Amino acid sequence: MPVLECKGLTKRFGRATALDEVSLTVEPGRIVGLLGPNGSGKTTLIKLANGLLTPDGGYIAVCGTAPGRESHSLVSYLPERMAIPTWMTAKQLLDFYGDFYQDFRREAAEEMLDHLGIQPRQAVKQMSKGTREKVQLIMVMSRAAKLYLLDEPIGGVDPATRDYILSTIIGNYNPEAAVVISTHLIADVEKVLDEVIFISQGRVALQSTVDGIREEKGMSVDALFREVFKC
Amino acid sequence: MLRKLLKHEFRATGRVMLPMYLILLVTAVGSNLAGRGMLDGRSDLLRTLGVLIVMAFGIAITGVCLLAFVLMIQRFYKNLLQDEGYLMFTLPASVHQHIWSKLIVSSVWFIATVLAVIAACLVVAYQGGFLREFLDFLRYFLEGLRKLKVSEAFNGTIYLVEFAVLMFLSLVAFSLQFYAALAAGHSQANHKLLWSVVWFFGIQFALQFAGSLLIIASNNLDLFDRLYFNWDPSPTVAIHVGLLLAIGCVIVYGAIFYAITTFFLKKHLNLE
Repeated sequence: MPVLECKGLTKRFGRATALDEVSLTVEPGRIVGLLGPNGSGKTTLIKLANGLLTPDGGYIAVCGTAPGRESHSLVSYLPERMAIPTWMTAKQLLDFYGDFYQDFRREAAEEMLDHLGIQPRQAVKQMSKGTREKVQLIMVMSRAAKLYLLDEPIGGVDPATRDYILSTIIGNYNPEAAVVISTHLIADVEKVLDEVIFISQGRVALQSTVDGIREEKGMSVDALFREVFKC
Repeated sequence: MLRKLLKHEFRATGRVMLPMYLILLVTAVGSNLAGRGMLDGRSDLLRTLGVLIVMAFGIAITGVCLLAFVLMIQRFYKNLLQDEGYLMFTLPASVHQHIWSKLIVSSVWFIATVLAVIAACLVVAYQGGFLREFLDFLRYFLEGLRKLKVSEAFNGTIYLVEFAVLMFLSLVAFSLQFYAALAAGHSQANHKLLWSVVWFFGIQFALQFAGSLLIIASNNLDLFDRLYFNWDPSPTVAIHVGLLLAIGCVIVYGAIFYAITTFFLKKHLNLE
């Protein structure tokens, strides 16, 4: 059963169509890049999969169920914004995730926080912007979820932090789960991807494996992206 | 899940409210001490200090009441409709549970604030023999109650219960009207806070208009006479009917606010 499935998914904001008849499937055990330029509909698709938006047409399912309370316990979501309450200390954040998610691996999270040198009593607001983003990612990746939806996890951070984030994702995701990484920074994520979905002006332009692109097109995903989305 | 939401909501709000109660208590004790000689003293410095302490107590009372009100709005706005909403609305909890957790916690802090202010005033008023006078007052009060007829005691108790229920429901409906306006305003793409203010006054206007229409219609059609077949209740019963009608009205408009809040958070959530 696909962990994420869309059929004819449509979302409009007033007169603007953000997603237009999108159909795609994501199978378990795959790391999928949701790639497209800014404003192509990547975040809208991820918000729909999280139930943060309601579709205007079509169908979207996570592990066979419509996005909602049940699917929230199966999906680990990293929003593009800093969503964790900044007044909380690292320990309170661990308590929070541990209380709400049965699949939260507290020991793994504590180990990663310790590796970053974050004290349990340190408040999130006392941390630098980069450290906050790392802490939010640690919380998300410490869950043994069925689907990880990561919206722009490497946007706006320095190259060293990008490496840390990607190694955290690869080193901590549940191998039976799927990981969807939304980004327009293709070169940085290409090495970790199994599949890519190109999304352009709210439509799926391409869904293929990374190996398939290299064999059939004879170019990297980054080079193909630049060709497809040439201005 | 509601229990867990309540636990974290109390944790988030308690860190603000509890220090404020402590400030209230400290200024109340200070005001009590100021009343024992500082205000009537000969030293200008002590008199000024006494006045400042009493003023601080007044500010603390105003501050704690304002804080409970601001916190009720701020927690709903910041925790559900701003960036934290991305975390909260992807928890395995329903929209109803989110709303109830906010409602219950803000109501508890409203009630706790009233009790804290009463306690602080008692601390200010406390003097030697105060406890004895207070116990004497309680004894006279209980003796007075014993002299009441059974029907008077029964009705008095029911009045108190009805009044307490009315106050509690009014408190919940009061919070819900802000939640409804914020949820509706934040469904818009831009100027979300401005739209929330427009919704708030829009809802107020609609309710007052509907209420006025009902009163005009009931006067013109002799609605109450027809409903009650010219029933002429005793004053005791009329008070019960009045309180129960008021409770019914509060439940109706509270339910309208709740339905608006739920509808927009479920169907038209539009986080930035």
